[in-house]
Amino acid sequence: MTERPRRQMFEPGTTIDDLKEYMAPFVARLGYKFNTETEFVDEVLESELEILADTGDIYCPCRVRSGDPKEDAKIVCPCIPFFRDEFAGLRKCWCGLFILAGVEDGGELLGVMDEPDGDVDVPVFLASDVPEGQIRHVKVGKTSIAVAHAPDGFYALSNVCRHAFGPLGEGFMDGCHVMCPWHGWRYDVRDGTTDHPNADVRTYPTTERDGVVFVKMRISAKR
Amino acid sequence: MRVKLYGLSTCPYCRMTKKYLASNDVEFDLLEVDLLEGQEREDAIATVKEISGGKSFPVVVIGDEVIVGFNKVRIKELLSL
Repeated sequence: MTERPRRQMFEPGTTIDDLKEYMAPFVARLGYKFNTETEFVDEVLESELEILADTGDIYCPCRVRSGDPKEDAKIVCPCIPFFRDEFAGLRKCWCGLFILAGVEDGGELLGVMDEPDGDVDVPVFLASDVPEGQIRHVKVGKTSIAVAHAPDGFYALSNVCRHAFGPLGEGFMDGCHVMCPWHGWRYDVRDGTTDHPNADVRTYPTTERDGVVFVKMRISAKR
Repeated sequence: MRVKLYGLSTCPYCRMTKKYLASNDVEFDLLEVDLLEGQEREDAIATVKEISGGKSFPVVVIGDEVIVGFNKVRIKELLSL
């Protein structure tokens, strides 16, 4: 019998540096980085270590655990994927532990809590993670979108096929079209059109900056 | 004006808010929700959810106004600091 490798993270003796090493590569894939205010980062992570010792997991130090495991799972650090739209508006996660990769001075964002109402560029993934000919499902708030890498760039459309509600983000790309993985309905990823009547899907504008793909979506201030 | 701060003992922004209020000689009632237990904790979380619409901290109540997060500008304005 082979021995399972021991899990090294989150054991007694876990340090701030362990947490940084664990989180940095993942948040980079989401278009985020650690705040440039290094003392502040250490303060937040120190708090997370206290919470870890207390509860067994690295919950957000700025949000409260309700006791409902399903709810509380959403505030295990890094919680960015659960709050993509909200954090894109703030340009940082709630705590400010993480900031958008393109923000130069994270210090200016500390204490800023006002989310803009309206259109926000939401980072979804690194361009290099989705090669041409691939499509990926991304959840932004409660909206499920599919982001495709077509021959002439990235396009975002609804993730939900209008035929039998199959997941377009798991479909197959064919040039500028995605084929739904369930029954092959084809959509042009550039404008969401399909040959089937009354079945076009919504599209969203995309941009690419510093190697990160952003999808423009409308958010409304909420918390 | 009566100032109430709902905070978490673990939260850096809550610490900043406390520090800011104290350094401006503002008296405030402090409730550190994560240090509460049982019914008291549940009640406090329910209150925060009701007044702020979420479970994020700090929540500062100044009179009838509710400020979520450490919003120095807004606190300053409301307390005429």
